[in-house]
Amino acid sequence: MTLKTEQDWKDIVHRCFRCGYCKFTYDYSDFNCPSYKKFRFETYSTGGRMWLIYGLITGEISWSQDVANVLYACPTCGNCSENCRFDKFNDLLVDIIEAARAEAVEKGFCPERQKALIERTDNPEMYNPYGEQNSDNEDLKKEYDLPDKAEWVYYIGCTSNYRQKNLRDATLRFLKKANIDFTLIDEHCCGSPLMRTGQINSVKDLISYNIAQINDVGASKVITSCAGCYRTLKKDWPKYGADYDFQIYHTVELVKELLGDGKLNFQSEYNKTVTYHDPCHLGRHMGVYEIPREVYKQIPGIKLVEMKRNRENAWCCGAGGGVKIGYPDWSVEISKERLEEANTTGASVISSVCPFCRTNLSDANDKFDMNFEVIDLIEIIDKLDFEITDPKH
Amino acid sequence: MNEKSILKELEDIVGKDFASNNPGDLYIYSQDPGASLPRPVDFVVMPYTPKEVQDIMKLANQEKVPIIPMGGGLTLSGLVIPVKGGIVMDMKRMNKIIEVNELSRFALVEAGVTSGQLLAYLNENHPRLQPPIPDAPPSVTIAGNALIHGSGYLSQKYGDHGAMINGLEVVLPDGELYKLGSCAVSDYWFTRGPIPDFIGLFISSFGTLGIITKLSIKLFPKPKMRDIIFGLCKDPYVLPELISNITFTDVAEDILLGIQDKPDWMKGYTFIIVYITGESEEELNNKTKILKKMYRKGKSRYMKVPKRIEDIFLEKPQFAAKAADFRKGGGFEYVGAYIPLQLIPEIIQIGTDISLKHGIVPTLGARLIGQGHAAMFFISYSFNRADPEDIKNARDALHDTNKAVLEIGGIPWKAEIVGQQLMLEKMDPNYKKLLKNIKNLLDPNGIMNPGNWEVK
Repeated sequence: MTLKTEQDWKDIVHRCFRCGYCKFTYDYSDFNCPSYKKFRFETYSTGGRMWLIYGLITGEISWSQDVANVLYACPTCGNCSENCRFDKFNDLLVDIIEAARAEAVEKGFCPERQKALIERTDNPEMYNPYGEQNSDNEDLKKEYDLPDKAEWVYYIGCTSNYRQKNLRDATLRFLKKANIDFTLIDEHCCGSPLMRTGQINSVKDLISYNIAQINDVGASKVITSCAGCYRTLKKDWPKYGADYDFQIYHTVELVKELLGDGKLNFQSEYNKTVTYHDPCHLGRHMGVYEIPREVYKQIPGIKLVEMKRNRENAWCCGAGGGVKIGYPDWSVEISKERLEEANTTGASVISSVCPFCRTNLSDANDKFDMNFEVIDLIEIIDKLDFEITDPKH
Repeated sequence: MNEKSILKELEDIVGKDFASNNPGDLYIYSQDPGASLPRPVDFVVMPYTPKEVQDIMKLANQEKVPIIPMGGGLTLSGLVIPVKGGIVMDMKRMNKIIEVNELSRFALVEAGVTSGQLLAYLNENHPRLQPPIPDAPPSVTIAGNALIHGSGYLSQKYGDHGAMINGLEVVLPDGELYKLGSCAVSDYWFTRGPIPDFIGLFISSFGTLGIITKLSIKLFPKPKMRDIIFGLCKDPYVLPELISNITFTDVAEDILLGIQDKPDWMKGYTFIIVYITGESEEELNNKTKILKKMYRKGKSRYMKVPKRIEDIFLEKPQFAAKAADFRKGGGFEYVGAYIPLQLIPEIIQIGTDISLKHGIVPTLGARLIGQGHAAMFFISYSFNRADPEDIKNARDALHDTNKAVLEIGGIPWKAEIVGQQLMLEKMDPNYKKLLKNIKNLLDPNGIMNPGNWEVK
């Protein structure tokens, strides 16, 4: 089911019974909704939000900043969709929250901190939510000797390009070493932070711009190292009417494919105990759970251990849905809980495939002295010696 | 004291984050998923300790502000929606499982522990034990369910869940903390007596006498294996004897009945759903044989069902809330009538007639309680929450059902305000007098969930 951004959700939202399955993991052993676990009023469960949204639709309750804040105090991790038992509409719950946020913005109730996302992304000097000078990526193209036309585009994503450059550079080195015919574009934000926070006026322009850039270089494939960009390009752009012919890959999918084809052979070991954190964007929102695990397991020397809450029931890192910018302290508290869970596994490394998760887990790791090594899968691979046996992919 | 001062006092007690009069919170707590109309709330507060409950109670008593304790908030009959405004006290931050005594088989839990939480905790840490939990979603509380005379898993074999309470810690309107049950005399919360039993006062009184902060609930052995044996019955008049005979054999852990007009193939039948347990396949096979024979002798028949249907019923708790989306409308409420077994045929007819009169597809069922001593028979009405007329229709159907149930000798369970008044009309005058006297003694200012069980 695809939710239109306009009206359809209004015919669905009253069907939520507020039974509360959305708060839990599948076995009810813990609350797995970060928002409910923090705020504890029923209002902050997804059921509470559905009822609040219904009240706003019917006019039983009026828009106010307090009401809007409830809608924004949610990392849109998708645990609710996963555990809601009403399978006729459970996959729409996050979309409904995002649609309601769009309405909050329209009514003038977007929280102040989240407004920075659009102010920066709309700024022609920036085009990214971090407020950095826009990088047209020409320097990187020169540094890595990348062509103007190529089969693949590496869509770096703002978090990797402006906050997690090591992850970006590891990806660039991997793609070069793997002999992928790729290039970079002068990319603008994919639109994810704006979609998540309901500030959607510029989203279609961002999508059109990025698609035009990708088409200009003649690419038929787009690869990204960001779980958020991956979800946005693959799942959300079409919802906003985007029409494109290229295929979307996450780097982990390419790595898996190369391993599966026998083209990638690791020649050194990573002798550490690693636990994998499922990014919500890649896991619950895109259903990709096993591919990263299959890659980790093929790295020589690695011992992969699971946290109690994993895959569909993974605890969110707390960065998404505008929570990182809107509630910075709470956001790292959520990551702290993840690190505490990781601590019970005996792992010394917590790894993921999302620069945003990496950022937030690192922030919590530093803030609370948790002594983990927080690292992306592609950064682990970057530390290893490996051989590509087939020069052309 | 004005509204602002009361909020400030509440914030001082529980912290700023857990006391609210924000419009969004008040809106959510002013309604429940049943058919009751919303009613205004002034404050919502979430205590974390018994001391905080005591302090809130003292404040409410001093200011004569109504106070309404809330567990999971899923009675569906509006019991935690204030009738006269006031403070809703959501207990779910008090969520510690304090003790599980494996030998004496009880769990001591705080009032906000959910059924899902205790179930998962026992599965992981005490796999030989199982808790009495209702068919309701896992977000309901153990205390809330037991205190409304709940029924559910294990009720057939061991009785209603209210009967499984070993002890309570209660804050009364005077702000004092009281221990009831063996815990009043011993460190072990293992039994209800043998001292004068006050626990019953707090069961089905819907928070009109005090606020429960801790509860000890009985736990039960969990056999290694569990299965489900379906029977099919065309003639409801054979059901009382058939069910009674099954309970004589002691093969059933739980017994459910189901009667639905939709899908069409179900119309005209009563489905008998018997849960059997055992330590071996052989034991289950023997029980299955006994049941098949009993079905045959009871003018019914064994019914083989697809595995996916079995799985739905074997899930614990089963997803009973699915009834809310039968009509894509997000709502349902039911009259759950406690009845003696002999009334089963009559109540099936009543439920069917009232459903059809209100244009609602008949959806009825029952849970056996206490080896045939009673049945909780439910007549469920789904409605569309987006259609006020449809909700009113469900309310009218509920009212008609409550009246009919009382007329034949049944008792509506966890009835909404109007249903309570119907019961009070029929109630023995001296019982009412006692009720009123006890209420006045414990709650002289009438702050505890006023409007419920109100003897006029």
